[in-house]
Amino acid sequence: MLKVNDLGYWYDRQENSLFEHVNLNFEAGTSYAIVGQSGSGKTTFLSLLAGLDKPRAGQIEMNGEPINKIGLTAYRKSHVAIVFQSYNLLTYMSPLNNLLTAMAITDSEHRGDKQYAMEMLRKLGLSDDQMTKNVQRLSGGQQQRVAIARTMVCDAKLVVADEPTGNLDEENTREVIELFQKIAHEQHKCVIIVTHEPDVAAVCDHSYRLAKHEFSLEA
Amino acid sequence: MNFFKRAWLNLTAKKGRSILLVLVTSAIMLFVLAGLLIRNAADTATSNAKKSVGATVTLSANREAAFKKMRSSTSTSKSSRPKLTTSPVKLSDANKIAKLSNVASYNATVSTSANAKGFDTISTSSSSSSTGGGMKSMGGSSSSGSGDIAISGVTATSSVSSFESKSSKITKGRGITASDEGTNNVVIESELAKEDSLSVGDTIKLKATTGTKKTYTMKIVGIYKASSSASTQQGPGATDPSNSVYTSYTFANTVKGSKYKNTADSVTFTISDPAKVSSVKTAGNKLISTSKYSLSTDDSSYQTVKASMNNVKSFADKIVWLVAIAGTIILALIVILMIRERRYEIGVLLSLGESRWKIVAQFFVEMVMVLVVSIVIAGFGGKFVGNQLGQQLVSQQTTTATTSSTTSTQGGQPGGGGAPGGTTGGSKPSGNMQGGPGSSSSSSAASQKQTDLDINVTVMDLVELGGFGLAIMFLSIMLASGGILRLQPKKVLID
Ligand SMILES: Nc1ncnc2c1ncn2[C@@H]1O[C@H](COP(=O)(O)OP(=O)(O)OP(=O)(O)O)[C@@H](O)[C@H]1O
Ligand SMILES: [Mg+2]
Repeated sequence: MLKVNDLGYWYDRQENSLFEHVNLNFEAGTSYAIVGQSGSGKTTFLSLLAGLDKPRAGQIEMNGEPINKIGLTAYRKSHVAIVFQSYNLLTYMSPLNNLLTAMAITDSEHRGDKQYAMEMLRKLGLSDDQMTKNVQRLSGGQQQRVAIARTMVCDAKLVVADEPTGNLDEENTREVIELFQKIAHEQHKCVIIVTHEPDVAAVCDHSYRLAKHEFSLEA
Repeated sequence: MNFFKRAWLNLTAKKGRSILLVLVTSAIMLFVLAGLLIRNAADTATSNAKKSVGATVTLSANREAAFKKMRSSTSTSKSSRPKLTTSPVKLSDANKIAKLSNVASYNATVSTSANAKGFDTISTSSSSSSTGGGMKSMGGSSSSGSGDIAISGVTATSSVSSFESKSSKITKGRGITASDEGTNNVVIESELAKEDSLSVGDTIKLKATTGTKKTYTMKIVGIYKASSSASTQQGPGATDPSNSVYTSYTFANTVKGSKYKNTADSVTFTISDPAKVSSVKTAGNKLISTSKYSLSTDDSSYQTVKASMNNVKSFADKIVWLVAIAGTIILALIVILMIRERRYEIGVLLSLGESRWKIVAQFFVEMVMVLVVSIVIAGFGGKFVGNQLGQQLVSQQTTTATTSSTTSTQGGQPGGGGAPGGTTGGSKPSGNMQGGPGSSSSSSAASQKQTDLDINVTVMDLVELGGFGLAIMFLSIMLASGGILRLQPKKVLID
């Protein structure tokens, strides 16, 4: 589904490139973990997959079409959903409105369906009361679940997450990772998670390690 | 349309910030509104001035041509004494002019005099000594056999300029109207009434000094009061203004003699639209014999009011633009700061795939919502601020305006025939004019009256204010939106 061709990225000079000539394939219905040392360029790589930045070399194809041809804004809108360590919710809204807003912006097939959004939040353990209060009143784990629910109510087949469990305790981490597996296997989406936690990586179907400017598949 | 909902959610969630925005915007809108109100009020005052100050066209004998004729006749036949002959205005001519468009009404004026018979007149100690000890004075000038009572024959007192400008007022009974034609009804001044204990319904006797020298019995139908300002223009040799009476012009003609029937010294036409004064004059000149008669125009009151209102208006215009520009800058700075503070939110929206222009639109909608509330607040406050400012401006403007208009009217009055009759302006028609009642300090009084700014917040004002507000918001969002359009979501979300 998602194909990375000869991808290269550097910030200032090519000699200091984070990675070059990267060729990878990501399939729907599968979860991937990306691990690697701090500063190795995991976040940078993910931002390229998410269409938040342009590669210096090579290209990324979504279903055979280069994403720069789709247009990064259109790509973000229709093809990719992003989860961040810091949740990145709209802080002036309730969880429910966060979902409804995302559904409206991304033209989700469920757009405007309040019941559907509420059901999703309920499934993720939020009470009806919590759904309609300001999102900042929730705990970190709850906020991250709202962010995940947001990816679930949108149609994007690619879900990328940067250290989604970074701010969560063990219990919450386990629940969140399980959710990602469900998204991959039940919603048949492609889930790519950047993490530095081996436990998280172990749950995913495949795990890539970024080291010495190269990606390698781990056992 | 999702950005409408986001805008609403944002404003309601961040109440403190929203209230602050509303306050700042209200303050800006308040000043813009005050400027708009003053400007509009000046506009209205100018157009009201058009209606009520009114300009006039006066039909009278062509004295210039008469003088020319007199001089030429002197040179040819030295035997006879030079004589200035002017023809009284024919009412048939006046009727033709009255039918022209833009002529609202007309007033025929015939001035003459008669002696009081059986009652005392008022003597003025301050006026020339010739008036003597009081009653039965010999009157003013000796050029024509004049009586001690100045008679102003008019069509209707209501269209005499001193009554129009309220410097003369009917205090008892009624004024002279068209229905008094052919009657001996008279309206006398209150001082004279007091002196002789006369009231409405009483009769007085007047003895003509010219023509038939007959005695007429007059019925008092009304008493008027001339304001003190009316006497200020009394020239030397004139009788006291309180000795001025109003009758129908037909009576004045009768006193002057049978050849004056259906004539008038002058006829003053009130023009409904002062801007049309010169076109009425042009059209009127085609209807009359210009060698005998002339049409003179007077729209000085209107011009004075217009000039003073234009000053107010241009000042108000400046307020509107200054505040609008300052407001745009202030709001743009606020929006720029707001957008900086909301980088994160913008990043989230961008990561969801929201287009940049819709984010800009969301900010714009938020500001428009703030604007709507602010306009309501400004609408309540605007009347107050506008009134304060407007009064200040008008009092400054009219002081200068009144001064200039008074001097201009006085400048036009030669010392000759004493106080003018009902007509306004400088060109005085007939030779045998006596000090008529009701002098023409009308223009200054009129301009004072009309330049009161009527400050009222109308729906149209608010719509206009809304237009300005929208433009200000649009500009400030445009100025600030560079920040949104350049923002890199990765920088905001990942660093
Ligand atoms: N905007 C930037 N400008 C220049 N250098 C940058 C920028 N952002 C990141 N870098 C550098 O690029 C390298 C990769 O950063 P990145 O955030 O991708 O690492 P990471 O693998 O996600 O690390 P971590 O596990 O700590 O999150 C780092 O050495 C970092 O200093
Ligand atoms: Mg990182």
